[in-house]
Amino acid sequence: MPLVVTITGASILFLVLPAVGRVAGVSEYVIRFLAIIFLWIGKTASWNIVAGYTGYIDFGAVAYFGIGSYTTALLMTKPDLPFLLSMLISGLISAGIALPIGLPTLRLRGVYFGIATLAFAEAMKQIVLEFDRTAGLRFFEGPHGITLPIGPGNEFFYYAGFVIMMIVLGINSWIERSKFGYGLRAIRESELTAELCGVDTLASRMKAYAISAFFLGVIGSLEAYWLTYITPHMVFDVLITIQMVVMALLGGMGTVLGPAVGAAFLTILYELLYKDFPYTYGIIVGVIVVVVVLLMPKGIIGAFKGKLRVKS
Amino acid sequence: MSLFLQSLINGILLGGIYAAYSAGFSLIFGVMGVVNLFHGEMVMLGAFITYFAFTLFHIDPFVTLPFSIVLLFVFGYLVQKVIINRVVESPPMISYILTFGIHLIVAYSALWAWSADFRTVTTGYSGMNANVHGMIIPYARLVTFGIALFVVMGLYLFLYKSETGRAIRATAQDKETARLKGVNIHHIYAVTFGIGAAITGMAGSLMSTYFIIFPQMGLPYTILAFCIVVLGGMGYVPGALWGGLILGVIQSVTATYLNAGLSGALTFILLFVMLVVRPAGIAGKGIIE
Repeated sequence: MPLVVTITGASILFLVLPAVGRVAGVSEYVIRFLAIIFLWIGKTASWNIVAGYTGYIDFGAVAYFGIGSYTTALLMTKPDLPFLLSMLISGLISAGIALPIGLPTLRLRGVYFGIATLAFAEAMKQIVLEFDRTAGLRFFEGPHGITLPIGPGNEFFYYAGFVIMMIVLGINSWIERSKFGYGLRAIRESELTAELCGVDTLASRMKAYAISAFFLGVIGSLEAYWLTYITPHMVFDVLITIQMVVMALLGGMGTVLGPAVGAAFLTILYELLYKDFPYTYGIIVGVIVVVVVLLMPKGIIGAFKGKLRVKS
Repeated sequence: MSLFLQSLINGILLGGIYAAYSAGFSLIFGVMGVVNLFHGEMVMLGAFITYFAFTLFHIDPFVTLPFSIVLLFVFGYLVQKVIINRVVESPPMISYILTFGIHLIVAYSALWAWSADFRTVTTGYSGMNANVHGMIIPYARLVTFGIALFVVMGLYLFLYKSETGRAIRATAQDKETARLKGVNIHHIYAVTFGIGAAITGMAGSLMSTYFIIFPQMGLPYTILAFCIVVLGGMGYVPGALWGGLILGVIQSVTATYLNAGLSGALTFILLFVMLVVRPAGIAGKGIIE
């Protein structure tokens, strides 16, 4: 119960913050910064659905983010569709592409799955970059990128980011306690045993992969609309995947709160350090990653939970 | 026809370089199951060693090879001994993340120390070519290709003929049994990593004479090494040669007849298809979990 109260309280706080902020003089900067954190939590938690629960480490998650961005950019500039509709279609297209991609790759194990997904994401980037020049068309606009219609102010993205983040975290929490989620975790612990216990392992993995792709597509769409200008190098950047991996690991993979804690922590660290010490930021994150892996391999949340268990 | 032959030659020469810097990646994965995400940084370090030896002390790039081999061996040995050995028994996921952390530390330290400037090593023979019946063969690349072949063969012989090589292979096959037979597997791991790093650093030194050097150059090399090693078969060292040659030729031919950007797309599509259809690599001797 106290958890529910905390969550409701925090939600109300975050929902009224921009309104109160306008009166109390909270700057646009804070709203914008919080929106960035929400979106990183959303991405990391989406990644966690596949990697954290099934143990299949997806190194190409940015592909669905990029597909979402590009679908929205194309839908909003070619047929002039409204944003919310484009966002929904972007999510569905991401999930739709995840099915034929997941079917062969999710049969691969361990590191092979990681490399195959990485290859897929890089191939998507190269295809979007080179399609126009090769086909002689003007569709993806190649490296020049696409300019989207100017969107609403930061507050819109604050609310949209918050809602999406809450939905993704809700799904994570549902997975934690549903039969579907037990199936996924059984796959992570021992796939053969899961199969023997009657879990349709491939179908479960596919479902998790498609859900994850849907939300990554939606977030990609939202971020494209916020940035108003996208290029393949921006939205298919392998560093976005890497950030998700590091954030989830740092907080604790396969937990609901882990990705949220990790994403918030790293985004704040980035904001504090990047302006003044751009190079040391990379070194410090590297050191944190190494230390976390060596000293608390289950992340911040895992280390915390472990301590609680010893006491009780 | 001569255009095709020329692009074939370019591809083979490029493939030799690919093989040289990927063999170490394959060795490290084969023995320890570690996917080394700072592989490209070792290429970068090798290249910088040559760059500084060349610009500060005017040492010929080919003479700097022993320096990069020794320094990178020490670097690889220590990293494995001090850091990676602690997690070598954990699930493979942990090793990706750990090596990624090391990638960040090395790449950003290099950026901090040496700035993001692009550098080149231009020697008197940098632009010199052999002209064989109209085919142009750059000397620097030809020598690199020869050294790459020599190194992959040498590594193969070392693994199959020497005592340490036998211990490395035993550890790769079954570390518990190797341990029972008196192999100090943590030492073997460190030596293996050192050898992998030494070869990679040497490849970096060789490449510095005709590729641009900068601190952030590592990540693309790591990703390409992935592709090459998967094509040839993960953990099967001579496979790096096959993978490198195939990829080099495909890239060079697509760059000649289609366009250079598309060769990148094709590389990854090929990798994807290869993993799905034949994960053990072209020769079918790679490790599948």
